[in-house]
Amino acid sequence: MLKMTHLSKVYRTEVVETYALRDFNIDVKEGEFVAVTGPSGSGKTTFLTIAGLLETFSGGEYHLDGIEVSNLNDNARSKIRNEKIGFIFQAFNLIPDLSVFDNIEVPLRYRGMKSAERKQRIMDSLERVGLASRAKHYPAELSGGQQQRVAIARALAGSPRLLLADEPTGNLDTQMARGVMELLEEIHRDGATIVMVTHDPELAARAQRNVHIIDGQVVDLAEEPRFHTHAGAGASQGQL
Amino acid sequence: MKLHPILAALRKHKAGTVLIALQIALTLAIVCNAIFIIGQRIQRVNRATGLDESNLFFVSQQWVGAPSADTPDGVEKLDAMQREDLAALRNLPGVASVAPINSLPLLNSSWTGSVSLKSGAEIGDKTGTRTAYYFTDEQVFPTLGLKLVAGRAFNAGDVQHQGFRENRDRPVAIITRALADKLYPKGGAVGKVMYSDGSSAPTTIVGVVTRMQIPSSGSFGSDFAWNSTLIPTRLDANFARYAVRTRPGQLDAVMHAVTPLLYKVNPLRVLDDDSVRPFSDIRARAYRADVGMAVLMGVICLILIAVTAAGIVGLTSFWVGQRHRQIGVRRALGARKIDILHYFQIENGLIAGVGAVIGVILALGLNAWLMTHYEMTRMPVLYVLVGVIAVLVLGQAAVFVPARRASNVSPVSATRAA
Repeated sequence: MLKMTHLSKVYRTEVVETYALRDFNIDVKEGEFVAVTGPSGSGKTTFLTIAGLLETFSGGEYHLDGIEVSNLNDNARSKIRNEKIGFIFQAFNLIPDLSVFDNIEVPLRYRGMKSAERKQRIMDSLERVGLASRAKHYPAELSGGQQQRVAIARALAGSPRLLLADEPTGNLDTQMARGVMELLEEIHRDGATIVMVTHDPELAARAQRNVHIIDGQVVDLAEEPRFHTHAGAGASQGQL
Repeated sequence: MKLHPILAALRKHKAGTVLIALQIALTLAIVCNAIFIIGQRIQRVNRATGLDESNLFFVSQQWVGAPSADTPDGVEKLDAMQREDLAALRNLPGVASVAPINSLPLLNSSWTGSVSLKSGAEIGDKTGTRTAYYFTDEQVFPTLGLKLVAGRAFNAGDVQHQGFRENRDRPVAIITRALADKLYPKGGAVGKVMYSDGSSAPTTIVGVVTRMQIPSSGSFGSDFAWNSTLIPTRLDANFARYAVRTRPGQLDAVMHAVTPLLYKVNPLRVLDDDSVRPFSDIRARAYRADVGMAVLMGVICLILIAVTAAGIVGLTSFWVGQRHRQIGVRRALGARKIDILHYFQIENGLIAGVGAVIGVILALGLNAWLMTHYEMTRMPVLYVLVGVIAVLVLGQAAVFVPARRASNVSPVSATRAA
């Protein structure tokens, strides 16, 4: 489903180049629930943004659902994001000016879906996250947990091949976090492929598989402590 | 991109939306009317006087120590002085023809009166058709380039002279077609008579010219702007005025030579810097206020348009900044750059559309108000239609740069902290 081979991401300035990811390799199979962990600055979010085609990478290969994405133009990347990927963000990223219904409709509109199908999908996904009665509400009228459920509904409505979750419980209290996590597990049980970036070991433990990133590289957990507790390990830098 | 989500977002930003829509509406209302007024002014400024205005200049001079025009002897002397001038001017190299004349179109110095088909005794206190008189001689046709449409031009035998304040019979006259149409709507004015200024002595109309504007260019005389009457009479007064046509390309040289020539003929006169003026200068002065008003209104229009465009750019830029993350989220969810660009263009189109609808009502209302309170004609709907298109295009042009900036927001910004 998601395969990165010798992938690198370099941020360059006039005097320094910083490797956010270096010789990065990962292979996520269809139907897997993978938790990506690592200390702050290790490259977790960079991995997620590249995996979600939100930004480009500097070298290596990335196959998503069998498509080599490195040479795709912006429109093609937008299309893949829209049709194959569902995003769940830490900050929910609902559009405050739009109702719950309209928020979920956003990606479906970009797909050019007909109104009746959009409505059906929106209501189905809201049913699935238990918020069908809140369709006309605005994000500000919902709790954090409910907002994240709406975000999950938005991600699910397009029937994506891959769900990418970036610290999905990061802004929630324990009880709400538990509810969201249970929902993700349920979605996974229904066959979804999920890649979740988290720094929470408890959440990571509930995933099917853990991938640990340090200094922009996937490390073998047998050789490294399971979770680094030191903050700001930092990406590697080299002088130009 | 459908309208519903855009409308939903606009409802959340009512203040900015309403302000910009109103600004567009006011701009449309004011600019439409201003351009209509500018158009009318330009039309007024460019209307033909009926003269061949090129190679034509005007001399206006004052005699010093001149004999009185109130005595027959004085009148004869003044006329002799005037004929001396005319002879000298007609012999000047480069001069094509010269005519004595009390005024010229647009000079804003006129002798006005009224003409009627009834004699003074018959008409009583009633006034006839208003007209401006040009007192001149047989050289007026080649000098002013007037075009005769019926009858004949003056000949030397028609020409008489009189003191400035003298009230003499006017045996013959040539009138403009506009005046002829008023006096004789069925045509055939040539050979018929009219009575001028309540006189009981008939004036025979010997010719009709196509067009000759009266001297007044302002609101005075606007209702009889084309009713001119030419009388073949030299006026003798303590001043004398001549229209001079030069041969092509000789205008500057002849104008330069006129003052010394006239002083040589008779030094007892005053010719100042303003005494010898090309007709182009007379036209420019007559319409200076109109041109100034048109320029002022044009500048106001430009400022209004610039302020409105700046308002749209400013508000859209503010919204782009405010929605930066939201745009990133839309991009992350699959929006292409063109979708974001279209979003802001449609949003602006909706605001400008509402503004245009209000603006059309305001524009027509303002025009109606101007018609009621001032001398304004009804503005053709075409102006409003063009105005609507213009504000919509202006809106799209103004929104393009910030909208393009929005379309370049990276989808990765969705993952960054707000």
